[in-house]
Amino acid sequence: MTRSILFLFLAREWADTRRNSRVLPLYFVMPLVAVALPVLLAIMAPSMVRDLQRSAEPSTVALIENLARLSEYRGVPPGEVLARYILRATVGMFLLMPIAIASTVAAFSIVGEKQQRTLEPILATPITDRQLLLGKLLASAGPTVGATWLAGAVAILIVDLLFAARGMTPPLPDRYWSVVLLVLAPALAAAVSLVTMRLSARSSDPQATIQISALAVLPIFLFLVAVFGRVLMRSFPTVLGACVLVMLVDLALFRMNVVRFRREEILTRWKS
Amino acid sequence: MISAHGLTRAFDGTVAVEGLSFNVPEGTLFALLGPNGAGKTTTVRLLMGLIGPTSGTATVAGYRVGGGADAGRLLRRACGLLTEAPGFYERMSARDNLLFFGRLYGIPERTLAHQIERYLQLLELWDRRDDVVGTFSKGMKQRLAIIRALFHDPKVVFLDEPTAGLDPEAALEVRELIVRLKSEGRTIVVCTHNLDEAERLADSIGIMRRRLLVCDTLARLRAGRDGDGRVTVRVTLTGPAALHAPALVAETPTPAIRDVRAVDDVLSARCPADGVPTLVAWLVGRGAGIRQVESAADSLESIYLRAVRGADER
Repeated sequence: MTRSILFLFLAREWADTRRNSRVLPLYFVMPLVAVALPVLLAIMAPSMVRDLQRSAEPSTVALIENLARLSEYRGVPPGEVLARYILRATVGMFLLMPIAIASTVAAFSIVGEKQQRTLEPILATPITDRQLLLGKLLASAGPTVGATWLAGAVAILIVDLLFAARGMTPPLPDRYWSVVLLVLAPALAAAVSLVTMRLSARSSDPQATIQISALAVLPIFLFLVAVFGRVLMRSFPTVLGACVLVMLVDLALFRMNVVRFRREEILTRWKS
Repeated sequence: MISAHGLTRAFDGTVAVEGLSFNVPEGTLFALLGPNGAGKTTTVRLLMGLIGPTSGTATVAGYRVGGGADAGRLLRRACGLLTEAPGFYERMSARDNLLFFGRLYGIPERTLAHQIERYLQLLELWDRRDDVVGTFSKGMKQRLAIIRALFHDPKVVFLDEPTAGLDPEAALEVRELIVRLKSEGRTIVVCTHNLDEAERLADSIGIMRRRLLVCDTLARLRAGRDGDGRVTVRVTLTGPAALHAPALVAETPTPAIRDVRAVDDVLSARCPADGVPTLVAWLVGRGAGIRQVESAADSLESIYLRAVRGADER
């Protein structure tokens, strides 16, 4: 029963999202932006790399030399090494998608039920707090992850076609892209959803929840990218470590949400 | 089927309901009356296990309220709830809404489809089953919410203002449905402001204002056994009633006489039912000419107002 209930929330909320003019555009805009960046880089890469090589700046030369020592770039021409490295870094755009989309969808999760006055009928059914929260988590993170994967697949396909057209080995997905897309993005979507759901349960306005969650989540994400971004793109174990860390955060957040979910607080403190 | 003992709930130090004790036998309808903010909805939420009591105990359909997560699930499965505001997903069709909630109740698909069709037909919404709920009138949404409260075949049904906002015809249909539910052996609790509705439907009545002020069968309330023990008597005289009213108040020939009024030739008062002959004899003894004597049991409205106003005075 649990599994069917989880997918019940997913199906219902996706049906609702498709008709929600405030949420639906995010599913088109964010993937377009995320796909555009690697594709543009792939188009511009040959001339960009040529220019960089011609300039022969010591820092660029040092970077190429450092990168060429990495195991995955052995045997790759120096110009292509740089192009592949720059392309790898664009996977960060696919981490912004879970943040932007999941936080908006999750903001409507509990407070949206309150506004539609459907929360009390839901709470009157035999479902448990855990089922409700898991269902809401899946409904928020599931479509976001789906959109991220789809956008990632499209980006990989176009970039690889562009490289192949120039007689170069298709660069994507490398192991960084694979782990970031398949593990880190879903884990991040879950973390953002859980934080926003917690805020949503205490709020009475979805817009306020979106703004508060943006204030709470985005700066932390950007700070972490600024501090650890370069290390993440050069050290694969660090990427794996980041995945484990975010998954542990997910578990802690979910547990906290279940423990702190107060049916009666939500019912009795909500004023329309 | 429902039994509450000293049920109390406070929110941040403010007592919403206090010391509620009552029993609702299986297959009967209990009407819970009271002004806005009296604690009716809180009482229903307590009995459904949606909120926990601060003190006191209650058992509904054999499950103890606040008896843990598993008992809570079984309790909610055994009960149906019509909330005060019938909330639905406005962008989804009536049938999709019912399918969603039916699946949350764990109703098998075939049974669910049958129940949805049965109730949509019964409440005349079958033709609108595929229309989005956002296009429905308030009355249609209310009927849809009643279906949601019933389609999992609950033993106990809580109906919070079931006919609020309905036109007279729709309200009549809902009342007929409630009667039918009762005849099927379900135990029903109705919260309402509509005294006429309560009078027509209820086997027993509770009037509350934070506490339960009055609680008994309507017949016993009318007979005054648990009320103030009086009936209203109207005596139409051949002369002005004002000639006798002051003496009636001063001499009190009938014990516990109250609310003596004289309007033209009509003398009215409230007194115990067995005191009416004494009152008439007293008037005759004073030389009053009597044309007509009417004795009437209290209406639910007067019982209600007396209870609520009495609570205000206290």
